[in-house]
Parts: sequence; C-alpha cells; structure tokens
Amino acid sequence: MKHTRYYVLTILAGITLASCETVIDARLDTGPAQLSVDGTLTDQPGPQTIRLTQTAGYFDNSAPPVAAGATVVVTDNTGKTYAFTDSDNDGYYTWTPAAKDTLGRIGRTYRLSITYQGDTYTASSRMNRVPAIDSIIFRKEKINPLSATEGYQAEFFARDFRGATDYYRVKYYRNGVLANKPSDIITLKDASFSGSADTDGLVFIRPFRQSINPDSLYALNDSVKVELQSLTVEAYDFWQQFSQQITNGGLFATPPANVPTNIVNTNPNGRQATGFFIASAVRTRSTKVTESAVRR
Amino acid sequence: MPTVYAQAQADQNASPRAASQDKFTISGYIKDASNGEGLIGVSVYVKETATGAVTNSYGFYAVTVPAGTYNLVITYVGYEKQNKTLTLTDQNIRLDLELKEEGRQLQEVVVSTKRDDDNVKNIEMSVNRIDVKTLQRIPALLGEVDVVRSIQLLPGVSTVGEGATGFNVRGGSIDQNLVLLDEAPVYNSSHLFGFFSVFNPDAVKDVKLVKGGIPALYGGRVSSILDVRLKEGNAKKPELNGGIGLIFSRLSYERPLFKGKGSFIVAGRRSYADILAQPFLNNDLKGAKFYFYDLTAKANYRFNDKNTVFLSGYFGRDVFGADFGFNWGNTTASARWNHVFSDKLFLNTTAYYSNYDYSLDSDLKRRPENANDYFRTDSRIVDYSIKPDFTLFLGKSTITFGGQSILHDFQPGTATAASSGDVRTFGLTSKYALENAVYIGNEQQVSPKLQLQYGLRYSLFNYVGPGDAYAFTTDVPLGTSRFPITTIQYKRGETIQTYGNWEPRFSAKYELGNNSSLKLSYNRLAQYIHLISNTTASTPLDIWTPSTNNIKPQIGDQIAGGFFKNFGRSNGSGSEFEASVEVYYKWLQNQIDYIDGANLILNKFLEGDLLSGKGRAYGAEFYIKRNRGTVNGWVSYTLARTERQVAGINGGGWFPTRFDKPHTLTTVLLVDPPQAKRWNFSATFTLASGTPATFPTNRFEFGGFTGQVISGRNNYRIPPYHRLDLAATLQGRQRPGKRKTDNWVFSVYNVYARKNPFSVFFQPDADNPRLTQAIRYSVFATAIPSVTYNFKF
Repeated sequence: MKHTRYYVLTILAGITLASCETVIDARLDTGPAQLSVDGTLTDQPGPQTIRLTQTAGYFDNSAPPVAAGATVVVTDNTGKTYAFTDSDNDGYYTWTPAAKDTLGRIGRTYRLSITYQGDTYTASSRMNRVPAIDSIIFRKEKINPLSATEGYQAEFFARDFRGATDYYRVKYYRNGVLANKPSDIITLKDASFSGSADTDGLVFIRPFRQSINPDSLYALNDSVKVELQSLTVEAYDFWQQFSQQITNGGLFATPPANVPTNIVNTNPNGRQATGFFIASAVRTRSTKVTESAVRR
Repeated sequence: MPTVYAQAQADQNASPRAASQDKFTISGYIKDASNGEGLIGVSVYVKETATGAVTNSYGFYAVTVPAGTYNLVITYVGYEKQNKTLTLTDQNIRLDLELKEEGRQLQEVVVSTKRDDDNVKNIEMSVNRIDVKTLQRIPALLGEVDVVRSIQLLPGVSTVGEGATGFNVRGGSIDQNLVLLDEAPVYNSSHLFGFFSVFNPDAVKDVKLVKGGIPALYGGRVSSILDVRLKEGNAKKPELNGGIGLIFSRLSYERPLFKGKGSFIVAGRRSYADILAQPFLNNDLKGAKFYFYDLTAKANYRFNDKNTVFLSGYFGRDVFGADFGFNWGNTTASARWNHVFSDKLFLNTTAYYSNYDYSLDSDLKRRPENANDYFRTDSRIVDYSIKPDFTLFLGKSTITFGGQSILHDFQPGTATAASSGDVRTFGLTSKYALENAVYIGNEQQVSPKLQLQYGLRYSLFNYVGPGDAYAFTTDVPLGTSRFPITTIQYKRGETIQTYGNWEPRFSAKYELGNNSSLKLSYNRLAQYIHLISNTTASTPLDIWTPSTNNIKPQIGDQIAGGFFKNFGRSNGSGSEFEASVEVYYKWLQNQIDYIDGANLILNKFLEGDLLSGKGRAYGAEFYIKRNRGTVNGWVSYTLARTERQVAGINGGGWFPTRFDKPHTLTTVLLVDPPQAKRWNFSATFTLASGTPATFPTNRFEFGGFTGQVISGRNNYRIPPYHRLDLAATLQGRQRPGKRKTDNWVFSVYNVYARKNPFSVFFQPDADNPRLTQAIRYSVFATAIPSVTYNFKF
C-alpha cells in the first residue's frame, strides 16, 4: 500500500504545476553522538558483517565516525557463538567462517551483543522462512504511457507461504549494480502491503512483481538479479518507517519521526543507540534480458 | 424580570387605544425585488418601541407589539430602505415585502456584515459573513472565486499552507468545522485536493462562518460552523450566468416555476486543466488524467403563505490517474419544509442525505490483460438525518428549539486484490452510529442595552452493531502500537458504546452608547466523528471514523470576549468604519494523534495506533473595516497560539500544532475610482508566521541510506509567508434595451513571485545517499496571472 499511496500522492503533487522544490540552507542543532548499528545477517555462505558507526550532525556529509574497539558477539538459540572482529578499525566487524560453515539457519534466533565505550547493547532477530523466486519475465513497454521510448519491463514471480504472516524485502541489481535509491526500498507483508490485507498464500501482487524496474526500464542483454529476503515483523516496520522517513516531503508529508530500533542498552539510563539488527534468509534469481525471455 | 421590562416599554409607547395591552404580531417574508430570493439578516425596526427583528435563514421575521400605530423601517445593506406605517387593532398582520437593490452604489459596498451597524447591534460575536458580491471582488487564484479560500482572509481563520484542504478556525483542526451546504454536511469541501472548494459561487447566496458563541441550534463539531446557503433561483424571470476561466468554466440557469410560486437554479462546472496541462507534465505523469466537475441544483415551491418547500442537491467528483487512478466526491441532498404555524411560530424541517466516497483502482481503464491482476478499494461515509427547528417569536424573546437525529454509516475501506487470477476481498466492515440531539435556546432583550442569548443542547451518541469492538493492551510503551487482546462481536442494532454530553451555550451583548458594544460568550460543543489524517495536508483518502469504545468524543470549550465599535461618517446605511477586538481561549479534550509510523489504511486495529491528548488555543483578533469610499475593505491581525499535549509525543509536553501561526495579518482593499466608471480594482496582502516543522538533529547510516535522528515534534519553524494578489474588473458596455451584462476579471496571484514555503523537509540526494539536503517545498512558486470572462443574460 505504501507504493500505491506514494503513487497516488505523486500524481496529486504533480498536478501542482507551479510547485517548486529548492535546496536551501538550514541551520540545525547537533545532538550528542550515539552508537549506530547496521547489521543484517543472512543464511548465505561466506563472511558476515556488522557495521558500527556513530551518529553525526545531519549535514555532516563525510563518512560517519567509526565506532572502533567494540566487542561484538552473536549467539544463536542453540548456544553457538560467533565472534565479529574489526582488525583494521574501520567499523566493519566481520565473522569469517571456517571451511563451509554458514552462520544463518532458517528458524533460529540470533542475539547480538555489543560492548562499546562501557555500555552493553543487545538485540535479537529470528531468521524467518523465505520462498524461492520462480521466474523473471520481461515485456516490451513504453517507459511511460505517453513516451515513444520503449524498454523491457521486468516482472518476477514468487508465492507467499500459506499460514503465519510473512514479511519480505526485495532488492534488485542491474548489471551487478544494486538499485539503492530511497524509492527502491520495497517491502511486503504476505503478498502485498501492510494493513489488514489478507493476501496470505497469494502470488505477490503485480505492483510488487513489477517493483524491480529502474525508471528507464531494462535494455536488451542487461543482467537482472532479484533478491528476496525474509524479515521479522519488527524489521519490516523498521524498513517501512525508514523508507517513509527518507522519502517524506511535499503536501502529504507525515510528521517526521525517529525510526524504531531494536538495539537496547542494558543500562536503561545509558545512551540509546540507533539502527537495527536483522537476520534474514535470502533467495535470489538472476537472468538476462534476451529475446527469448520477452513475453508478447 | 424581562416581563416587567416589557410591560414598562409598552406603557410608555403604546397609544391610548392599546391600554388593553393586547399584543399582536407582524410577520412575513422579505425578498429581493429583482429575483424573489429570500433575504437573510434584514433588519425590521419598530420606531415607536425601539425594538426590532432580523429575518432568519429563510427570510422570515416576526415582531410582536401592543395594538397601536407603528412606523416600520426595513433596512438591508445594498438595498433601498423601506418605511411602512401599520395600524394594529385587533389582529396579527402578515407583511411580506420586497426590497430593491440600490443602483451603482452597490459596487462600493463591502458586505460582510449585512445590517447597518450589525457588528455592534447584533448579539452574535465571532461571526463573519461574506456576501457573494464581495467574494467576486477579492483577487482569486486562477481567477476562480472561491468560498473557502476567501474565508481564509478573515481573522482567526488559517490554513496549514496554500493548497491544503479545509481550514483551521481558532486553532481547531480541519475536521472540527461543520461545513453545511443548505444544512447538509459536506465531508470533503475541496476540489483538486484543496485549491478550490466544492461551492459553486454562481449558486451561493450567503456564507456565514461562526467561530465562537455558537448557538444551541448547532452542534456536532467543536470549532466552527460554515453555513453556506444556496440561491433559490430567480422567481421573476429566467436568468443565465456563466464564466470562462483558465481552470474551469461555469454555467447556471435559473427561472421561475408555476407562475412565480416557485423557482429553480441549476449550476455546473467542469475543469479542463487536464487538457491544458498535458504538455507540461513530467515524464512519470504523462497521460495522467485529472479533472473535476460539480452540479448544484435547488428548487422551491410555495404552496401558500404558510408552507414552502425547498429541495437542494449537490453532486461533484474529482478524477485523477493514469493507468492507476482514483476518484472522490460528495453527494448531498436536502429537502426542507418551512411552515408558519402562527405568526409567532416558525418551523423548518430539514431531511438530508450526505455521502462522501473515494475509490482507487490499479487500472482505471479495466483492460482485459489486467483481468487477473488488479487492486481496488472503496471507502465512504454516508449520513441520513432529520432535523426540525422551531422558532417562537415572543417580542422581547425569541425561543429556538428542536432536535436532530443522524444515522452515520462508515465504510472505512473494502478492497479486492487479484494476483495471477486468485481474488481476495478484504478490508474493514462498516461501522454504524446514531447521533441524536435536542436543544432549546432563548435570545432575550433584557434592557435596551443588554441582550442575552442562552441555550442548552444535549447530544447522545450510540456506536451500534453489527460490529466488532476491540480492547487493546496497555502493556506496551507509550507511543507504540497497541495490539488487541479481546474482541467482542455485536449484533445488528446492539449498542457498543454510548456517550452523552450537555452542551451549554451563552452570549451577552451590552451596548455602550450608540456606536459600541461589549460582548461575551461561552460555548461547549461535543464532536463524535473524527477525520483520521496524519499528513500535513489532508488527502482525499483520509477516512472518517466514529467515536468508539476506544475513541472518546472530542469536547471543545471556548470563552470569548469582544469590543465592537463603529465610527466615522454615518449615512443611511451605517457607519463608515467598523472595528472590533476579540479575545478567546479554547480548551479541547480527546484530540486524536498518531503513533510514529501509524498504519491508517485498511487497518482493522487502527484504534491501537491512535493516541489521545489535549489541546489549547488562545488569541486576539483585531479587525477594522471601511464600508464605503473609493478605497474600502478590511485589515485584520490575529495573534494566536495553538498547542497540543499528548502522552507519547515529545515526552508528554505541550508542543505547537502543525498549523500554529502566532502572527497573521491580512489586508483586503477594494478600489472603486469615481473617474473610471467601468473599472474597479482590488488587492489582498497576507503576512503570516511560518508554521512549525520537525527538523532532524543527527544522521545515521543503514544499508547504504542516510537516516535522521529527531529530537522532538515541531521543534523548528519554517520561514514566514507573505503574498500579494491583485485583480481588476472591467464591466462590459451595457447596450440599451439588452439584458446581457458581462465583465472581464484580470488577476495576478502571488504578484512578486515569492517562493513561499509550504514545508521544509530533509532528504538524502537520490543519487548520492550520503549528501543530505534541506528542501523547501513551495506550492505556488511563481506569479500566476489569469483572465476570466463572466456573463449574465
């Protein structure tokens, strides 16, 4: 629904022919620095990384200050412990598997513990199930209804699991490059958007199936990779609100608000942290835009 | 006490023949001689007793006096004064009158108070009237005269930003205004999401905004009443009016029916901005269609002196979208029966239907290739109501009493989604509520100087089944979503929750000499239905919800005091200048707010995402108006605060609301140069404080995106707002013997092209997520010239 709503509001805002957005100078106060956690663990083979930084002034456009020297440990509900280390003090704390070991297993709950500057922060996340992506197809379409320019519009097919409410995030890559505009944050509840939409067990509804397209659509021989990640309900809310926060504006802005965090300081009076710790199972599918993949 | 006074008056003034103290009533309708429209607010003054009456919304008046001979003076600004001499001997007199419009002088009359010195003499305070003739003079956006945009020039009325739906009165939110179109409520008063309102100026007769001292007759919203009355249609001769503007065209037709015993008016508008704007649309908006239209109609028939029936209707829709699109609109219908029981007792009974709905469709064209994949949703609110209102004219007292019964039917949203051929229907079930009220009020002339108006309204609200009532956990941190713990199912007609409220009303006026008065008022109002909207400007997709077991009714208390003074030269139609200062303080209870990230769409458990708080608003309004002269018009300045306190937001402290504007200055100047007979000019200037906004303090990075850390709600203010608009009207030459009149209106909106901020928001650059920016969003960033041609046959 976020997408439909966003679309509706864009149309509305667009009719304001004389409207105008101007980048201006604004003076802002800067608050105290906080620990910021950027951690998404997956069930994919290879190293796993958690990034720790500190918050900075809103207009400080340099790389964020590194939170170095922290102790970062992940444990799962079977008692296994994974140590994350940052040997080069760049804030990226990494766990490197021995041989074919992978960290993530669907159904397990992971608990993060960070000790930093005398405070201990914890967070936990369950790694939920994720369906496979069945196929990706293409259609030749105008890039917009009145344009003469055509491109290849991609559509992927995946079916939500029956029972229990599932939450997902979709990422897509064109020729190996991740689409990472704020508008590319795509999240689903079951087969559609949040609300009491009962779409349990359906094929993802079309706006989501077609959400993996850049503005110009794809060209012949482009490679397309789609990644489907499972989320917990908390991580889903986080992504929804994060997306809302960084795309908020115009006539129909909602009151700006902090996004939720699951990083908790064990000392309730201690400094609070921002960011999120997410355990996510991932399924991917890659394809190429070829004549044979195009539906007519 | 009042009785004693009345006797004394009678003794002094009555002729010897009237020693018996028998009292008689003079009553009737007062109409416009040119078209038979009932005139609202005409003063009927009895010289000998120094008493009088004012015509009601249907043009009816009644005065009661002892037997004797009397001189009546009938005055109405913009119309020729009439004098009548009557002798009452042994029976009541029915006196229907027609008033003639004044000639050319009409042009220079600014009418927002209709009677001579009405602002001083009338007990009403915090009331503004705008006459359609004034409306038509004010420079308008894109040349289109608009009721809602014009009332935003009045003291105490503001908006969250230009282009926003609705208006805020004395710190109230937009759902706290009862907007009535011939007594039927209009749930979304905007076209083009707020640039224009649904009222077709060609069909509007009278606009009255009540901001305080609200009489017992009205209820259901806590901040204001916007009472819009439609024309009845010309009862003398057929008339065709029209206009061609840049955004839409208008056409209306009115004519007498049944040899002048009735009349009707039909007025329509259709926008064509969609056609004109097509070449200017951005890529992703190409092919978008957007237009609106509306149709307003009214008919009346007078069966006899005692019975008149009015039927009014409005139908309008806005349509937006390309493939994906949506549309919304209001439908209202009201039937009214005016019955004069006796010369003293007047009854108006209104029955109305009001519907607001929207629908959203993933494929407006419903093409066959999308038959297996679509998404549709519908939402509506429907009201059915009956409302008898009695007025009893007793000379020194005018008693009003009556009641209202409303059935509300809320359909907050049903949706159908199809994905690869699997179809699911889901969404929310309807909610039903009954809202009933009874009231009695009295307007009493206690002494020549002191007048009181007091009343009591009792409202009773029943939230009824069929429906599910939820109880939510209280065991979560404040400001986070509460989940339901129990669900109780109710059968059809079963009461889920009942609320009742006593709503006292009181106003007093004390005259200080001939030209000034002091007024005081208090009112309490209860509001049982609420607009769920968490965006800066309300969207057409916002839903109305009833008070439930979890949502308490809003209660508003307001006290207001004012000093009113007229000065300058006085001629037959009142003083040259009128001025007022009003102060008010308003307390609001059970104000709805939202948790961060609240989910308001198709959410069965919406109530779990709502917060409840208190509001307070206070201010002073200064107003001065020149009624005539080459340069006339008004200046108003409002000093005000409006704040809210909600557990779960800003640590539970008071914070300014999104529409808090400490300073607002508006100037409306109308210029009628005597040298230029065919030209007149007008200008408006508005200066207001910037509205509060929430700015971030810090940033954090996550997943390649840069987010905000925010320290509190509405912690900054955007830059101030100011704008100048100009307009000039050229009257077409009137040809002898021809009925056609026409004019051209040239206007420029935002003359010096100020980029007034609607909001300032913060976003990372789309291509460089680490580069964060403050962006000023302006709705109208350029000067907007326009030309409109109006004609009348």
